[in-house]
Amino acid sequence: MKPIFARGISNQFRLTLAIVLSVILLVANDRLEPVRQSISSLLSPLQYVANIPGAVLDWSAESIATRNMLAKQNKQLLRQQLLMSERLQRFEHLRQENDRLRALLGSPVHMDSKKMVAEVMEVASDPFRHYVVLNHGARSGVFVGQPVVDAHGVVGQVVEISELTSRVLLISDVTHAIPVRVTRNDVRLVVQGIGELDELELRHVAKSTDLRVGDLLVSSGLGKRFPEGYPVARVMKVERDDGQSYATVTAQPLAALDRIRYLLLIWPDGNQSEQAEPKADEPKAEETP
Amino acid sequence: MSMHIPHGRWVVWLSFLLAMLFQIMPLPGLVESWRPDWLLLVMIYWAMALPHRYNILSAWVLGVLLDILLGAHLGIRALSMSLVIYVVVLHFQRLRNFPMWQQALMVASLVCLHHLLVFWVQFVVNVASFDVSLFLPALSSLIIWPWVFWMLRRIRRIYKVR
Repeated sequence: MKPIFARGISNQFRLTLAIVLSVILLVANDRLEPVRQSISSLLSPLQYVANIPGAVLDWSAESIATRNMLAKQNKQLLRQQLLMSERLQRFEHLRQENDRLRALLGSPVHMDSKKMVAEVMEVASDPFRHYVVLNHGARSGVFVGQPVVDAHGVVGQVVEISELTSRVLLISDVTHAIPVRVTRNDVRLVVQGIGELDELELRHVAKSTDLRVGDLLVSSGLGKRFPEGYPVARVMKVERDDGQSYATVTAQPLAALDRIRYLLLIWPDGNQSEQAEPKADEPKAEETP
Repeated sequence: MSMHIPHGRWVVWLSFLLAMLFQIMPLPGLVESWRPDWLLLVMIYWAMALPHRYNILSAWVLGVLLDILLGAHLGIRALSMSLVIYVVVLHFQRLRNFPMWQQALMVASLVCLHHLLVFWVQFVVNVASFDVSLFLPALSSLIIWPWVFWMLRRIRRIYKVR
């Protein structure tokens, strides 16, 4: 028989110590961000290794794609590109016009913001939250609070970074809310996640608010976190029940949150000069009724 | 060689590392909610086999690492894993002598306890909604435990871990 527990501390003491330490961690969670960042930088190789099987599957799916499939896809993409470039021609014209008008009004002209494509790493996250992990981190200049979009709309924001990876909180998470504006009439609202990938909620909407099914909601830029004008969701259902004090409104996110693979990280203009920017932003905010 | 001298520590930590890897490995959507708690299973095995070396505080450290890997609120899994391992360490003699099916049932109920604790703390510090699928990992852990046990015992004997 081994000399079990012949020396050292008792199990009860160990348990008490573990519980006390855990409670300290639970309480101090938000202040421990730097520690978390450095430990997750150390652990990120593990995430890269865990991502390998998924990457290999992707790669093999691509390499055994038949010539027919590729040709079909190519044709489709060409058509899409033609449509897009036509739209872009018009857009370029509108942008110049907009810049001229803004210059006449004396408002700041919108700059092209820096963007970067990031790939979603296939690693599991906390099942109670809606997270994805990206393959870019502090080394690529990613910062906490950075907006993330995909081809269709806003996806979420970066909440945690390590050297080589970053974690994005999706707009469908229960703790996420984003200020939006209805494109039809500039009504300002807040869209909140409810923990469903395909459903969002608009809270505290007065029953008299002019809101219809099918309205497009774009980011209003009021939270100073998401740049203005990115599409967020489309209104799906508006219920005005007399028994409730507010209307119940649900919306569907435009980004396909359940099958995202490539995302865009956005550096909003003037992120470097955060102190100087709010002043320049003010007149813009007043303009929006 | 004396029994007091630890031997083969690296094997144990390597097994923890692999378990962590399995814990965050991508799974197809359907199987995702059935993911066994690899790390907890491996930790239970080592706590059962060598309770004087790998016990509550090692479980705490692994729990913190897992919380960080999953991006969860810090301390949730640390708390629940150390509580579960406390139960294992208290009853390791009995657990060792159980027939395999009984042992697997015990392990499954420990996994249940772990998930309940995680849900409960999650509910307190954040919002979380209860779902019965929370207990699916316990079922898959029940099925997978005999194999984990058998493999880790072989590893322990081959590398003479103590």
